[in-house]
Amino acid sequence: MAVCVAVIGKDNSPLYIGGIGNDCSTDNELSRQWLVHTALDALEERLATSSSINANSGNSTAHTDLRDLYLGLLYSTDTHKIYGYVTNTRIKLVLVTSSTSPSGSNIRDAEVRTALRRLHALYADAICNPFHLPGDQITSVKFDKQVKSLILNNV
Amino acid sequence: MADDIIFELLHSEIINYAKEQSKNNGNKETDLSVVEYIGFAAGYKIMERLTREWPRFKDELDTMKFICTDFWTCIYKKQIDNLRTNHQGVYVLQDNAFRFLTNFSNGHQFLEYAPQFVAYTCGLIRGGLANLCINSVVTAEVQTMPSCKFHINVQRTT
Repeated sequence: MAVCVAVIGKDNSPLYIGGIGNDCSTDNELSRQWLVHTALDALEERLATSSSINANSGNSTAHTDLRDLYLGLLYSTDTHKIYGYVTNTRIKLVLVTSSTSPSGSNIRDAEVRTALRRLHALYADAICNPFHLPGDQITSVKFDKQVKSLILNNV
Repeated sequence: MADDIIFELLHSEIINYAKEQSKNNGNKETDLSVVEYIGFAAGYKIMERLTREWPRFKDELDTMKFICTDFWTCIYKKQIDNLRTNHQGVYVLQDNAFRFLTNFSNGHQFLEYAPQFVAYTCGLIRGGLANLCINSVVTAEVQTMPSCKFHINVQRTT
């Protein structure tokens, strides 16, 4: 079960952080922000290696396809696993699952991939709102609702 | 196709509107920055959708190839005919039958009006590139009527 998803902009500013939990207290919100931001370093690192490998394409390593938008598991702690996805437009999508709950501990990679793909589709729709300015936080209620249902149903 | 003509008519109305606005403000020259900005916003948003199914771009040239093929096909129903670059951030895209100009003439008639009809596209390219983290200046050049050249000058932050 996904705990939270986040959309991070080009300049690492959070555009949207949403999650489900028992309560929406400040404490919960803070821990979400913290979880998502711990993953950003790992995310940047993956991106940097992918570009350097492309620069000298001779030594292709046994990595997964680095041109893939989905970056896989970035970071895992005792309680959470963090997956990343970076679009061509450098928007970073982060999904956090709980590794303590039974449904979250044996989550399949393909499921996370589809969830992040769908989140990307939702983001692309949200950005097409003519009142949304690039770089602003996403305040759309519709987007929020769709993301919440994505978290509940898919993963 | 009916949906193509809607875009073309809307585009020419936007230009008429910009002309009207600048006439009301007392300018002799048409102020095309509004049209360019509309293009920029459209290009920025459309890029998020277009690149959704694409693998990550290798480098700048890869991105330009994308602009020439998929991006152009999506908007103008054809590919760019010629792409040239000096490998230092200057790219020239040549379209031999630019869609907004094909309806006018095949010669020098109406040549003076041509710049108005390429401003939107300049913005479109600039917006698309801006969303892909490439800051650029895009200008256009029309010498004989249906063909048009777009010069993309990538601004590097060094």
